[in-house]
Amino acid sequence: MKGNGFKIFLTVFFFALSGYYLYPTAQNYLIKSEISSLGDDEAATYRQDNYAKIRSVEEKALKLGLDLLGGMHVTLEVRVEALISELASDTDEAFFDILRVATTEVETSDESIINVFVREFERRDPNARLSRYFRNETAAITRRSSNEDVAAYLRTEADQAVTRAISIIRDRVDRYGVTEPSIQQQGTRRVIVELPGIDDPDRIRGLLKGTARLEFRLMVDPADNVRTLQRVIEFYETGVDSTAASTDSSLVAAADTTLDINDLLNSNQASGNVLLDVMQPFGQGVTFGRVAEQDTATVNRLMSDPRVVALFPRGVSFMYTSSAVGTTTEGHEVYDLLGVRDEIELTGDVITDARVDFEQFSNTPEVTMVMNSEGSRTWARLTGANVGSNVAIVLDGVVYSYPNVLQRITGGRSNITKLANQAEAQDIVTVLKSGALPAPVEIVQESTVGPSLGASSIRAGLYSVLVGLFFVALFMIMYYRTSGLIANLALILNLIFILGILAGFGATLTLPGIAGIVLTIGMAVDANVLIFERIREEQSTGKTLKASIEGGYAKALSAIFDSNITTFFVGVILYSFGIGPIQGFAVTLMAGILSSMFTAIVFTRIIMDYVVIEKKKSVSFG
Amino acid sequence: MRIFENSNLSIIGSRRKGYIFSGILILISLISFAVNGLELGVDFKGGREFVIETSTVLDATAVRSALASVLSSDPEVKTYVVEGVDQLLVRTVGEEDIDVVKGQLIRGIADAFPGSEPVIEKTYVVSARFAKDLERGAIYSIIGSLLVIFVYVLIRFEWRFGVGAVTALFHDVLITLGVFSIFQGHIGFSLQIDQTIVAAFLSIVGYSLNDTVVVFDRIREYTGLFKSENYDTIINKSINNTLSRTIITSGTTLLVVVVLFIFGGEVLRGFAFALLIGILIGTYSSIFVASPIVLELRNRATKGR
Repeated sequence: MKGNGFKIFLTVFFFALSGYYLYPTAQNYLIKSEISSLGDDEAATYRQDNYAKIRSVEEKALKLGLDLLGGMHVTLEVRVEALISELASDTDEAFFDILRVATTEVETSDESIINVFVREFERRDPNARLSRYFRNETAAITRRSSNEDVAAYLRTEADQAVTRAISIIRDRVDRYGVTEPSIQQQGTRRVIVELPGIDDPDRIRGLLKGTARLEFRLMVDPADNVRTLQRVIEFYETGVDSTAASTDSSLVAAADTTLDINDLLNSNQASGNVLLDVMQPFGQGVTFGRVAEQDTATVNRLMSDPRVVALFPRGVSFMYTSSAVGTTTEGHEVYDLLGVRDEIELTGDVITDARVDFEQFSNTPEVTMVMNSEGSRTWARLTGANVGSNVAIVLDGVVYSYPNVLQRITGGRSNITKLANQAEAQDIVTVLKSGALPAPVEIVQESTVGPSLGASSIRAGLYSVLVGLFFVALFMIMYYRTSGLIANLALILNLIFILGILAGFGATLTLPGIAGIVLTIGMAVDANVLIFERIREEQSTGKTLKASIEGGYAKALSAIFDSNITTFFVGVILYSFGIGPIQGFAVTLMAGILSSMFTAIVFTRIIMDYVVIEKKKSVSFG
Repeated sequence: MRIFENSNLSIIGSRRKGYIFSGILILISLISFAVNGLELGVDFKGGREFVIETSTVLDATAVRSALASVLSSDPEVKTYVVEGVDQLLVRTVGEEDIDVVKGQLIRGIADAFPGSEPVIEKTYVVSARFAKDLERGAIYSIIGSLLVIFVYVLIRFEWRFGVGAVTALFHDVLITLGVFSIFQGHIGFSLQIDQTIVAAFLSIVGYSLNDTVVVFDRIREYTGLFKSENYDTIINKSINNTLSRTIITSGTTLLVVVVLFIFGGEVLRGFAFALLIGILIGTYSSIFVASPIVLELRNRATKGR
């Protein structure tokens, strides 16, 4: 037993450490089961009384991944190319072409889009200066600024955009009210948002990706609107469309090219016209047509054909209404397509406050916005000059309302009316108050798991751990007898250590992580198998039990070390390239290797020495 | 209880049979890659995956045709039962808004199968661009792992061992991928290659290496111990004397992997299957591929001298 003092100390130390880190997890479990045994009212009081304790325990407890807990894991990407084009002025065809090339190029590489953009720009014309697009006095970018200066400026702007996006998204999530959200930056332009146990993923999705660009714009002239509608219908009537071959438009007689708009308005049964198949023409006021939800993609495609765009009035594009104006006979929601001017008269920057209100008579929810003095002046001028016309209130490219201006509005108030429900009104207030994102963000990955699926995954995982443990333990006892029993003790200690390591490092336990634990159970006995087989070999050469144990442990050491260290490296690599659940797997793999090496080499040796040397008893190796 | 105690099989003597066996398996795998290809999952291809719970048992083909008429593309539908609850796995591609697709799914199923009460329990969406990044990450991690392993074995042993180890790993991953390619679509669970499967492959790499290194360690020891012995004999002895350990560790690991395959749930089934195949192949390769290659390389060197 001499010389084992340090080994015993280490084992006890690690055991105590694991216990210390796992204690909050046990507490958390007890509190949760106590709460669930109480009635609703009692549970609420209990929660209130022990608020601080519950919070601190929850924070320190072993965290479960969203695949087990249920919740939403979203990766957002800040669109730097959109930021670049927004920062630029005096843009030309070449600029957009370079940006397009850069955007496509970064899709297949890790490089920053700014680097690629600058390189592509310089490749096309080595003598040209980027500063011609990015002149900005506040950032000290003048005509004479070098391309490096401009690139540095763009990089700073992009970094700030990501940082601001994170704080805005955090603000939105906090306003929505999610317990224990996690929002962190990944790489240079991505943000990972983890929201445990949320009940309405659709609403959250809207909150996260909405740029919250509020714009006030004038709308199309009604006479222009009707003319445009007629021209676009004629364009598709004559069958010149080659891109949308969903219906065979060549069958339509090409002779009848002049159409009476009233005929079209009266018959919603379009025949052979690809546009009319998916859109009901309207042509009154600023409304261009009506489109059912599932046809919006097709209509967008038809309306974005360059030959069609050429038919639009100058400076006008088309946008959908935010809420449905009705439903088709099959129950699909229908939206209005409105003609909106491209010029932005006023933006959301001028909004100082927003709140949910209810319309006096119908009690439908609406959002009241208050503007600062500068905004109020512009708003008064705008409304004064456009009495009798419509003004579109556009949020993130969708028209929320387009009131008809009755009189000049002073005092800087405006409303978004006729909202579907209070939640929608609340969400608009949330995004308006948190501020607009500096650049558009896109959801590039989303994983939402319902709580019941998560719970069944936990059960499946737990069951696998127990059954796996049982069979391995049974085998070890059958095969190695007493020493198998010792290896089993090591195996259980190993499990405690793994969980302790996970809790101690604040790692998250995911379903693949549990799979990693199950796998570790099978592989952890390997070190002991190596040692025991060696001891058997030593015994067969006629050595004493004590000498065999000595020799077995010593000789197996290099094999154990070499074989484990490489697997550990694999774990490190997996951790650095995987996302979410896979990182959980990598962590358990690494924790399992470290703790199984320790328990197999150190812990079992202590027991062996104790039994053989102290107690002078025999240990059977089967 | 003892198995393979003092075994004295002529493994090195019959290594040509091993080469032929491995060669055939690799050939079949390569043919299957060319013919069937590999089915990439949502992680690496981009797309949407939904798990929908229903209160009635639905037929996958019927759901598929019902959904094909409401969705813009033909979906892939699988049905299974988890803890007595009927679930549908639906995979679609496309760029439409996710809220729209979810609405179409729920309405499509509810309309076609009255009383089925569909509820979306899980949504997994990966954009095409993000999928490319994930794919790149997966490729880097596999190449990185093999490189690190090669360098480590190089430092701890010598280059012939490094080549032997990495060849055996390629062999294992190739054949396991081949099995995936052959059985995809013909088996009751998904064999799409996604991040979890890549994690399984890296575990196979780690596991198979584990076995190989244990044999190498013994070869290294015996080379110093039995200097007068022929290298063939040393390797054969090393393999034989570690055989019982190899079999036992494979056995316990296989045991837990089978448990995971049966009890681990739908999400982990492909993962467990990959490990199942990988461990079998990995055990075989550490006996019949890695060490024999070391011998071949050494024989060639002596012959050349």
